[in-house]
Amino acid sequence: MAPFLGNFSLWLSLFFGTYQFFISKKNSKLKFINIAAKGLLISSLISFFSLLHCHIVSDFSVLNVFQNSHTTKPLLYKISGVWGNHEGSMLLWILVLTIFNYFIFKLYNEKNSSFISKALETQAFITVGFILFTILTSNPFERLFPIQDNGLGFNPILQDPALAIHPPLLYIGYVGFSAVFSISIATLYNSEKIPWHSYMKPFVLTAWTFLTIGIALGSVWAYYELGWGGWWFWDPVENASFMPWLLGTALLHSLIIVEKRKSLQAWVLLLSILTFLLSVIGTFLVRSGILTSVHTFALDPSRGIYILAFTALLGGYSLILFGSKSKKYFDNSYFSFFSKEGSILINNILMVVVCATVLLGTIYPLIIEAFTNNKISVGEPYYNSTVIPIILPAILIMGIGPILGWGKEDKFKTFQKIIPSIFLTIIMTIIIFFVYQTYTFIGIAGIILAFWIISNNLFLLFKKNKKYSIGMIISHLGIGLLILGITGSSVWQKEKITKMKMGENINIKTYNIIFEKINEIKGPNYLALQGNFLVLDNKKQVVVKLKPENRFYPITNNFTTEASIHTNLFRDLYIVLGDGNPNEGWIVRIYYNPLVIWIWIGAVIIFLGGIIALRVNLKKLKISS
Amino acid sequence: MNKQLIIIPIVIFSLILLTFFYLLSIERNPSNIPSNLLEKKVPNFESESLLKNYIFDSSKEFNDEITLVNFFATWCKPCKEEHVYIKRFAKEEKIRVIGINYKDSTKKTIKWLGDLGNPYSNVLLDKNGRIAIDWGVYGIPETFIVSSEGIIKYRHAGPITKKIYKKINKIIMEID
Repeated sequence: MAPFLGNFSLWLSLFFGTYQFFISKKNSKLKFINIAAKGLLISSLISFFSLLHCHIVSDFSVLNVFQNSHTTKPLLYKISGVWGNHEGSMLLWILVLTIFNYFIFKLYNEKNSSFISKALETQAFITVGFILFTILTSNPFERLFPIQDNGLGFNPILQDPALAIHPPLLYIGYVGFSAVFSISIATLYNSEKIPWHSYMKPFVLTAWTFLTIGIALGSVWAYYELGWGGWWFWDPVENASFMPWLLGTALLHSLIIVEKRKSLQAWVLLLSILTFLLSVIGTFLVRSGILTSVHTFALDPSRGIYILAFTALLGGYSLILFGSKSKKYFDNSYFSFFSKEGSILINNILMVVVCATVLLGTIYPLIIEAFTNNKISVGEPYYNSTVIPIILPAILIMGIGPILGWGKEDKFKTFQKIIPSIFLTIIMTIIIFFVYQTYTFIGIAGIILAFWIISNNLFLLFKKNKKYSIGMIISHLGIGLLILGITGSSVWQKEKITKMKMGENINIKTYNIIFEKINEIKGPNYLALQGNFLVLDNKKQVVVKLKPENRFYPITNNFTTEASIHTNLFRDLYIVLGDGNPNEGWIVRIYYNPLVIWIWIGAVIIFLGGIIALRVNLKKLKISS
Repeated sequence: MNKQLIIIPIVIFSLILLTFFYLLSIERNPSNIPSNLLEKKVPNFESESLLKNYIFDSSKEFNDEITLVNFFATWCKPCKEEHVYIKRFAKEEKIRVIGINYKDSTKKTIKWLGDLGNPYSNVLLDKNGRIAIDWGVYGIPETFIVSSEGIIKYRHAGPITKKIYKKINKIIMEID
């Protein structure tokens, strides 16, 4: 029943999507658009929950459930299994598209009817494109005969709480930019006086905020589950989410200039188009099987061709439209370098340059392969030597930007304002280096910049000045903490990889780690070897007992390593148990990762700041309409 | 902002899409890892043979016929899947099939070959994985084609599928 209902509603959503596309084209009555937008939302909700139901009750008559589930799987992973595979995740993608479609529809009123109709038409076009893709190449409701007794299981490396909610949050981010895209297309067609930027801003904020937390959760997963000791690997798939984030950041900031100065309008429209296109290209990279990673579910070339053709259509249409219709949004106003808008403009340029750099690094191996048939890989050294020098000045400016006023700012007054934060920065930097005692240029620069941001925003936070957006201050504070964590964990990381027998011990930093014994344990759907490590500090006091595992999942015949981590505000101790046997010993990897926790705290604070800003902007929108 | 600049994103966008399209249209496998040993002599090694009582010396073994070298293990599930194709290769007259048993127990291997059939003219033991390191093996299973002059002509990482089976046959024809 559920598979049938799901499939039927998927087709129904195709109908409502097509219907909405055509009636918004005719700019018809509210009544019809109402039916279309609500019908689309409800049918895709039913479709999604039908698949969810199939996964929860383990209905193995559905191929998708058979391929990705198993009766012994814990409930949380039965649920996350819905989007842990290509077909199901497309269904989630469609659901999020229709939710944003509904929110665009909610903006509809008498004054903006033709503008919102145009946005709804574009959104319907995107939605229909993805529904067709799902139905034609990746229908999650495909049946299986004869019905199997049990499923093939779910990739154990994806069985992780952070990863269970990572895709939905990330999709809100990616897909949220579809609404921004639709609004900018409508703006290009528009000839009336419409406050389009105030419609666009809540969507940009939502997309950016959720993209931030989605990426952070992906990193959390990589850090805790992969057992490689790091949290960011410049993997093409990570880059695919990082690029829209960078452009989204630029977009968010330049929207403020549009709001306050009515300038940079064309630039904002172009950025909105490019951000969504990068989201779709990211989807293509991930889903076409053009490169391998944990995210590449699909290796069917027809899927790749479809998404590519759709991307070409969206990109070609929107960029040409921009070329022909953006003239009315161009202006020739010049900004003073030393002003708020000046700092935002520099931030914009730097973000776009970083994005282009990351894009080049990501697709360079593919271009080289296409032209010369050689395989190369672009890795961390490239990104470290290109991204860091561009992002450092951006962070420096970020600290002072919010304090500057619009128009021309008095340099001396500004200097007076920042004296307290300069002092705080110096003090905190000295304290940090007193504690960690490692001196490298990048380390010093990172720490100074982190405290520069943190202290500037702390002073703003306690100023109780209504002039500044509280959401912005909190987000910026989060960025400061994030930089602190990134610097600490990447510059001061210590790594020890050795072979250890039971009873042996090893020193890392000020800790002494004793390998006590190995136990065999049994989990809900796996067997594991569990190492017992006793961690002592330099006073011979027991800090913690760490128990990394080496798991075997018999159903999918996979091995995974579970790192065991002890976290406090200053550092993580991270132990991974590798291969081995009692006679020769086990390979043990131990990492000392300073300040990692601040990356996660920073990300959560950025998220909170984003949510606060979103609320403020939604209120503003309500008052104005 | 200069309006002419809009041409830049359009050009970049088109270039990216064209590259992707080209890569999708040609036959390629992203998990295909290039081998540094291609067109080079097989690495030198000596090894015990599983069912015959003699020491296999690589410097004397690869100079009269085309050889397929297959790294396998009983604990490796995909090895079971590709076994049918290894058997098919064994039936062909032009080539000799050698198996290298990677980090495995002798007892289990004998049982495994007994159950599934033994396509290998010789099974060499690589108990500590040294031979695999010399050959640059990335993961089990992995298959190499060595010409009658002892030159490595082809490497495939992962199980042999129908497509790869056909491809290897084509390569053998070409070398021959």
